Amino acid sequence: MAVDITVLFKASVKTVKTRNKAIGVGFDLPKEEIFKKSRPKHGFSLKAKEVISNITKLKDFLLQHRKDYVNAGSLISSDLTRMTDNERDQIDQDAQIFMRTCSEAIKQLRSEAEKQVIPTQIREHRGAVLDLIEIYLRGVCKLYSEQRAIRVKRVFEQENQRLVSEMSNLVDEVRQIEGKVVEISRLQEIFAEKVLMQETEIDSIHQLVVGATENVKEGNEDIREAIKNNAGFRVWILFFLVMCSFSLLFLDWYDS
Amino acid sequence: MAASVREKQAAALKRMLNFNAPPLKNTAAEPVWKVLIYDRCGQDIISPLLAVKELRDMGITLHLLLHSDRDPIPDVPAIYFVMPTEENIDRICQDLRSQLYESYYFNFISAISRSKLEDIASAALSANAITQVTKVFDQYLNFITLEDDMFILGNQNKELISYHAINKPDIMDTEMEAIMDTIVDSLFCFFVTLGTVPIIRCPRGNAAEMVAVKLDKKLRENLRDARNSLFTGDNMGASQFSFQRPLFVLADRNLDLATPLHHTWTYQALIHDVLDFHLNRVSMDESVGSESSPAGARPKKKNKKSYDLTSADMFWQKHKGSPFPEVAESVQEELDTYRAQEDEVKRLKSIMGLEGEDEGPISSISMSDNTAKLTSAVSSLPELLEKKRLIDLHTNVATAVLDHIKSRKLDVYFEYEEKLMSKSTLEESLLDIISDPDAGTPEDKMRLFLIFYITALQPTSEIDLDQYKKALLDTGCDLSPVNYIKQWKAFTKIAATPSNYGNSGVKPMGLFSRVMNSGSQFVMEGVKHLVLKQHNLPVTRILDNLMEMKSNPETDDYRYFDPKMLRGSESSIPRNKNPFQEAIVFMVGGGNYVEYQNLVDYTKAKPGKRVLYGCSELFNAGQFIKQLSSLGQK
Repeated sequence: MAVDITVLFKASVKTVKTRNKAIGVGFDLPKEEIFKKSRPKHGFSLKAKEVISNITKLKDFLLQHRKDYVNAGSLISSDLTRMTDNERDQIDQDAQIFMRTCSEAIKQLRSEAEKQVIPTQIREHRGAVLDLIEIYLRGVCKLYSEQRAIRVKRVFEQENQRLVSEMSNLVDEVRQIEGKVVEISRLQEIFAEKVLMQETEIDSIHQLVVGATENVKEGNEDIREAIKNNAGFRVWILFFLVMCSFSLLFLDWYDS
Repeated sequence: MAASVREKQAAALKRMLNFNAPPLKNTAAEPVWKVLIYDRCGQDIISPLLAVKELRDMGITLHLLLHSDRDPIPDVPAIYFVMPTEENIDRICQDLRSQLYESYYFNFISAISRSKLEDIASAALSANAITQVTKVFDQYLNFITLEDDMFILGNQNKELISYHAINKPDIMDTEMEAIMDTIVDSLFCFFVTLGTVPIIRCPRGNAAEMVAVKLDKKLRENLRDARNSLFTGDNMGASQFSFQRPLFVLADRNLDLATPLHHTWTYQALIHDVLDFHLNRVSMDESVGSESSPAGARPKKKNKKSYDLTSADMFWQKHKGSPFPEVAESVQEELDTYRAQEDEVKRLKSIMGLEGEDEGPISSISMSDNTAKLTSAVSSLPELLEKKRLIDLHTNVATAVLDHIKSRKLDVYFEYEEKLMSKSTLEESLLDIISDPDAGTPEDKMRLFLIFYITALQPTSEIDLDQYKKALLDTGCDLSPVNYIKQWKAFTKIAATPSNYGNSGVKPMGLFSRVMNSGSQFVMEGVKHLVLKQHNLPVTRILDNLMEMKSNPETDDYRYFDPKMLRGSESSIPRNKNPFQEAIVFMVGGGNYVEYQNLVDYTKAKPGKRVLYGCSELFNAGQFIKQLSSLGQK
C-alpha cells in the first residue's frame, strides 16, 4: 500500500531552507515571486480545456433533464415537470447541434496542432489528448442516444398501447353484437316451432270444422227429412183421425 | 487473499495513475490527461500488468523513460514511477530545474531515504518549484508479478542478485549484505502489497536463512512502529477477513540444482527454455512465407516478432501448464471451432447480401430470426478476430517450439532425465546419448550429464567420469560447470542425502492415441508422446511437509520466525498446529517455470489451498549453465 510522504517532503523543504539560511546561501526571491508564478497558459491546453468544459456542460444538462425527458415519473406527475414532445424535440436538436460543434472544435484543434511545428513528444501528447476528448464526447453522445432510444421506444409503445386499446374495444362491440344475434336466432327458432305446432292444430281444427259443416249439412238434411216426415206423419195422423171420426160417425148413424 | 497478488499490484498501479485517489466508477468522467515517466525498473513492473491501451484509458497520453530526452510539456501533470537511486534522483532534480511539466507526482517504487528526499527538496527550492511538487509517495511495489501466483524480483540488476553472485567463492561480506538488503527490500514490498504478515520458515545454514533473519527483523520493526506501520487498519483491506496467516517458505537454490537444468515438456516452461521469453513476452524470428510444416521449413526472410502472452488470452491461461502434445491438439481444435464460426458468419453474410437473387432462402427464413442472428454475428466479429489472432500467435509459437524439439530431440532428453530423477532403470547408457551427434546441442548434453551427476546415489568412479568428460569435450562442451558441481556436491554431502525426486513415471502414449493424433496439423512424427505423471520436485515436497505440518527429517530442522510475536523467537517450535491454507514459496538464487508448474499442479490437487511462487530471478537452463560455468572457472 502506498504511503503518502508529501508531509515528509514539505518538512525536508523546511529543513533545507533553514540549512540554506544558516549557511548563508540564499535564494533571494523577490516578493512577487512568493505568489505562485502565473505561467502563461499555453493556447492548446486552454482550448482543449474549454472543449472539455463544454462537453461537461452538455453532459450535466442531459443528465439533469434525463428524468423529465424519459418521463419515468408516476402517472400523477405535475404538469410542471412533464415535458411536452415539443420540448423534447427541442432538446434533441440542441444537443445535436452542440455535439456537432464540439466535434468540429476537436477537428479544428487537431488540424491546428498538426500544422504547428512542435517537437514530437508534444505532438504525440496533443494527439493523445484529442483522442481522450473524443472518447469523452463519444461517451456523452452515447448518453444522449440512449435517452433518445428510450424516448422513441416509449413513443412506439404508446402508439402500440393506443392501437391495442382501440382494437380491443372493437372486439368487445363485435362480441356483443354476436351475442345478440345468437339470441335472436334462438328466439326465431322457438317461434318457428310454435308456428309449426299451431299449423297442425289449425289443420285439425280445419278438419273438424269441415266435418262439422258436413254434419250440420247432413243434420239439415235430416231435419228437412224429419220435418218432411213429420209433416207426412201428421197428415196420416190427421187422415186417420178423420177416418176414425167418420167411422165413428158412421157407426153411430148405423146404430141409430 | 481473495484478490491475487497480480490484481492487488495492478490495482495499486491504477490508483497511482489516478493521482493516488481511488478510481471513480463514474460513467463518462471528464478526461484528465497526464504524462507517465518511469525508469527501467518501473517499466518492467508495469508492462506485464497494464497494456498501453489501459494506460491510455486512464488518461496517460505519453509514457517516457526517465533517462531519455524529454521535451517540456507545459500544463500537464507528470507522474513519476522510479526507483530512488542516485542517478534517478539527479535526473529528477534536473527535470525540476528545467521546468518540464506543470505539476509533479513522485512515486518511488521502494521507500526513499530522507537524504535523497532533501536533495529533491533543495533542487525544487532552487528551481522555485516547490508548489509544483504536488505529492510524493512510497509505493512499495518493488517486485514484478508475472502471473496470478508468480512473482520475481527486479529484472534490471539481476546479475547483482543472481545465483552466481550469491554463491561465488570470493564474495565479500559487504557484497552479501547488499544482496540481502535488495532481496529483503523487495520481499518487504511484496508483503506490504499483499497486506499480510506471514510466518516464515527457512532451512539452516545458507543464503535463505540470512534473508529470513533480515526480513523478520524488518517486518518486526515496522510492526512495532505503531504510527507508521504499514500493516494496520485500512491497509489490510480484504485480508482482514482471512483468519489465517500465510506460510512463507524460503528455499535456497542449492537445495536442488537439477530442476533448473531439467528439460521440460509443458508449454510455458518449454517456451521459456527454448525461445526468448521475457516478462511474458516471446520474441522469435519469424520466417516469412513458410507454412507451418514442422520439418525443414527453410526461412526465406527473418523478421523478429514478439508476442505478449497475457492473462486475457484464454487459450494461454488454459494450456500454459499442459504437456506439449495436448497443446498442439488444442490449437487444432480451436482452429476448427474458429473456422466453423467463420463459416457461419460468411453464410449469414451471403444470405443477407443477396438481394432478389435467391428468393427461396430469403422468403423461407423469417425476418426477425435473421436480424437477431445478424446482430449477434456483428457483435461477435471483434471476438472472432481476436480469437484468430491468438490462434495464429499460438500456432507460430508452438511451431517454433516444435522445430526446436525435433532438431534437438528434446523428448529423448526429457524421458531420460525423468528416469534419472526417479532412479528407475535406464535403457540406454548415458555415454550413448552424449556421443550421439544428432541429439541436441552441447548445452543439452551438458545438462543431461549434470543431472546425472547430481542425482547419482553413488559417486561415479573416476574412470567413468573421465569417459564422460572426454565424450563431452568431443561434442564441444565447456567443462567448467562440472567443476562447480563437484564442489557443490562436496559441500552438500555434509547435509542430508541428496534430494529424492520422487517416483515419477514416464510412459509413452499408446499406439492408438498416436494414430488418433496423427490427423492433427502438427504431425509429430518421431516425437514420442510422453505423458507426464504427477511427481513432486523437492521444493514441492518441502512445501507439502511444512504446510501440512508433517514431520519429516528434511524439514524438521527448519527455523521458525513469526514477526508478530513479541519476543524475538529463536525457537524452532512452530506454535501453529493447523495446516496452512496459503503459502508463498520463495527461491533465493533463482527459479524457473518447471518448479512453478509443479507447484501449480500440487495446488490443483488440493482444493482450498493457494500457493504463490517467487524467485530472485528467472532463468532458463542455458542462462543457468552460463552462471555455473563462470562459477566453475574460479
